[in-house]
Amino acid sequence: MSLVNYRTINIDLLDPESSANFDLSTLTPSVQPVSTSDVQTLAGQIPQLLRGGDTEGALRGALENAPYGADEKGKETHLTTVTEILQSIRQADMSPLLQRIYRSPNGPETLDVLMKYLYKGMASSSSSSHSTSTTNSTNKQITPQATSGFSQIHARNVGGDGGGQAMSVLLSWHEKVVEIAGAGSISRVMADRRTV
Amino acid sequence: MPSSEVHHLFHHPIADHSFSADRQTLAVARDNNVELYARSGGKFALQDELRGHDKTVTGVDIAPRSGRIVTCSQDRNAYVWEPSPSGWKPTLVLLRINRAATSVRWSPSEAKFAVGSGARVIAVCYFEEENNWWVSKHLKKPIRSTVTSVSWHPNSVLLAAGSTDGHARVFSSFIKGVDPRPEPSTWGERLPFNTVCGEYLNGTAGWVHGCAFSPRGDALAFTAHDSSITVVYPGGPDQPPKAVVSVGTQVLPLVSLVWTSESEIVAAGYDCEAFKFRGDEQGWELTGSVESKGRPGLTDQREESALNMFRQMDLKGKVKDDTQLNTVHQNTISTVRSYAENGGSVSKFTTSGVDGRVVVWSL
Repeated sequence: MSLVNYRTINIDLLDPESSANFDLSTLTPSVQPVSTSDVQTLAGQIPQLLRGGDTEGALRGALENAPYGADEKGKETHLTTVTEILQSIRQADMSPLLQRIYRSPNGPETLDVLMKYLYKGMASSSSSSHSTSTTNSTNKQITPQATSGFSQIHARNVGGDGGGQAMSVLLSWHEKVVEIAGAGSISRVMADRRTV
Repeated sequence: MPSSEVHHLFHHPIADHSFSADRQTLAVARDNNVELYARSGGKFALQDELRGHDKTVTGVDIAPRSGRIVTCSQDRNAYVWEPSPSGWKPTLVLLRINRAATSVRWSPSEAKFAVGSGARVIAVCYFEEENNWWVSKHLKKPIRSTVTSVSWHPNSVLLAAGSTDGHARVFSSFIKGVDPRPEPSTWGERLPFNTVCGEYLNGTAGWVHGCAFSPRGDALAFTAHDSSITVVYPGGPDQPPKAVVSVGTQVLPLVSLVWTSESEIVAAGYDCEAFKFRGDEQGWELTGSVESKGRPGLTDQREESALNMFRQMDLKGKVKDDTQLNTVHQNTISTVRSYAENGGSVSKFTTSGVDGRVVVWSL
């Protein structure tokens, strides 16, 4: 009797009505599955728009086609695409561009998506600067960043100037988006179950 | 010009508040007790205390006609308090829930009340004459998470509930022998107990804070943690809704809401001020704050003298005292309720919040 440590039993599994026993995905909005190749096709088209000087079109295209249903790799690819667009837009152009997007139909939703990418970009600060060159960063992915006590310092060293610069771009975008879309867009990023 | 009547009762959060029908008595949930305040002149003075719960009280509601008070608490119990010559007499209601009760509301008929809970059920309670006892029946399916708020339809049969699983739902709580058979409405024709008349999700599936039926009961509005407010116009029994209008706002999430007319809603929450929304099936929009910023007396309280400036710098290390919010409430508003109605639309409403204030607003 004393051999069974009752405190370690997961009682939720024994309760047929427990929340552990039903599929939570039925509660979330349904998203269309997107294949990685579709994301990559899009990632190929966006730079063409950028080269043509249509940064607004590129940003809109990338944000309106956010691949909610893609797998991790697809989402990562799209994050890279969005980050590249953001980096290619000059600081002075940010506010007018965001104003134009916000006033257009579905504009507020587009900015909410942008906010999601800003947070995702900041969350993966080192990967945002390296995902462009995934081939030569394999050794960096092996290092156990999460368990090492110096993960912060480690990431910063590895990221170097590139990481810091990417972060400052994201932060200045963040400031501008909050100016226009308000704190509500931040709370929507936190509440939204459709992740990017 | 909207005006407000501020009652700063104490420095404690108010989880819920309710006024009696004559608006002379105010019940507020403070920690484990409910305090009753009586209006004397322009102020509210503490009159009585309802003690009985042993954990934080989460909901309180005064029935307008019978004067009975129902309270619910995190101790998983609800009490119905009835006035008697020797004070308020509590009756324990067995809710049969294994998690905290989160909110309670009397039905408009006052024959039933509904208690939302963290046990993924709504307990619908009614009085059984033969046993002299409050009985609860559970609305269970398909609730998947904590119920944050409950709100009654004017017909006392339909019940709206917001939940942290992101859904706002409309249930039938029809109890034979208690309710008269409801008129068929746009929500459904036959309504046995636990009929799910509608299940709505907003764009982000953020958890739902507050919900409310429109005055006529033909539309449902709910606020969610994604700072949005969603209004649903049902399209008839077993039909998809005619319109689901969602407004994402720029402000922090809204917690509680009240319809002031068929085309206007007032909602408030983490931004410490109430906002007005206006719209119809075609679309809704935020029309502005209920408060007029730059009220007299807000800025010219402090004398702007050099002496004062240096004194502030000496005392606080800064010139401007920025510890005060620009709003009447100094913290999150948790409850918005109707206070006075005029020809079918709400002319006054009340808010209470974490800052211990109850404010009566005139629209």
